[in-house]
Amino acid sequence: MEKTRSIDFSKLTLCDALDLATIVEEEAKERYGEFAHQMEIHHNPDAAGFFKFMLKIEALHEGRLADRRRQLFGDAPRKVRREMIFDIEAPEYDEVRANMTHRQALETALNAEKKAFAFFDEAAKHVKDSEVQALFVELREEEIEHAGLVEKEISKLPPDSPTDVDDEEEPVAH
Amino acid sequence: MTSLPTFQAKDFKSDLKPIWCPGCGDFGVVQAIYRALAGIGRAPHDIAFVSGIGCSSRIPGYTTAYGFNSVHGRALPIAQGIKMAKPDLLVLVAGGDGDGFSIGGGHVAHAIRRNLDITYIVMDNQIYGLTKGQLSPTSPRGLKTVTSEYGSLEEPVNPLLYVLAYGANFVAQGTPADMAGLADVIEQAIRFPGFSFVNVQSPCVTFGQEEQQVKAHRANMKSLPSLEHDPTNRLAAMDLAQQYGRSLHTGVFYKNPDPPPTLDAQVRERQHNLEGKAIPRERILDMFVQK
Repeated sequence: MEKTRSIDFSKLTLCDALDLATIVEEEAKERYGEFAHQMEIHHNPDAAGFFKFMLKIEALHEGRLADRRRQLFGDAPRKVRREMIFDIEAPEYDEVRANMTHRQALETALNAEKKAFAFFDEAAKHVKDSEVQALFVELREEEIEHAGLVEKEISKLPPDSPTDVDDEEEPVAH
Repeated sequence: MTSLPTFQAKDFKSDLKPIWCPGCGDFGVVQAIYRALAGIGRAPHDIAFVSGIGCSSRIPGYTTAYGFNSVHGRALPIAQGIKMAKPDLLVLVAGGDGDGFSIGGGHVAHAIRRNLDITYIVMDNQIYGLTKGQLSPTSPRGLKTVTSEYGSLEEPVNPLLYVLAYGANFVAQGTPADMAGLADVIEQAIRFPGFSFVNVQSPCVTFGQEEQQVKAHRANMKSLPSLEHDPTNRLAAMDLAQQYGRSLHTGVFYKNPDPPPTLDAQVRERQHNLEGKAIPRERILDMFVQK
């Protein structure tokens, strides 16, 4: 599990697993917020608008998981922390460009959903607690659903024109 | 799970939002630094973060540590001064390859031989990005830039070999393509008692070469533990370091298993030993006068 540090999946409790799932969404929410800011300062309102939309979606998911955790375990201390996870559902920093198209922004989100699916799919194989496994399978299935929604949105968009692609910043060094 | 840290990664993140180019490798580096600092557990006000000038030198401002965005190439002398004056502070230094190995290159050797307990993180992107794409000291031979229209005729500086040759006791390399690995080597470097050096291959998305981008790193990087490299063997580390620019090795190249005393510790020891033996002010000149 190269995207985590100091987490022993075989010992995860349901409380830990809910905390992990919550911070996965929190990290994704923050990353979309960062991307929205990056696009705004580079005058790319289409991509900024989409990333803001994704920020709201991830905040919603985070809130739902946090509520579920609170209902089941109250304020029990968290053992899984943000410093233990790395870009599980948060899109990778190197996927964005200043003048990316709306379609490319959606593709960034699609890749992030696919990454999250791969993570929960793999994590489910390493856990021993049946409730944790059920949660990871549930989250894995949700990621399929989310990816499907993003794919549907991509399919509604016209393909990027060659001009859009040509407009990509080419590195000066060659 | 390990024991609970006192501080979390978010405690080290400032309200200032980075303004690097979207896709820049430095976004990942700062995230790795937050995580490494959370692992260390020192309070933000116990940390001094010094940088020079350049894109990567903006990093101290994106943390809640005390920051000093100083003068081009002079981050190391300033950091050494801070450490000597306030030895209990955790002192970090950050900058780019131009800052560290061109204008500031002369300071690296002396920081190493003095061996103060500071950590130097270089974001090596093989180009001057902030000033729009000129040759830097680590640019590969043949690179065409705005200042080398027909290709660079110069061999690059090899930062890893450079610091190993000067006797650095902790030398590592990372990339934002492996965030967990990067956070881990930075944390190890901070924990190491003495001068520690981390070279981060942090791509410039705007002016860097395609083969230096994070996607290429993911495809090509080789972790040193997977090669069964012995990090206590300086000569083996130097052997591997010679492949800088051709292979991307990540992890700890060299970690002295028997770290020598740091300068700050030796100075404190000497101060302690001399306590009560201070020469009266009126006799200080006698020390320098032949009798």
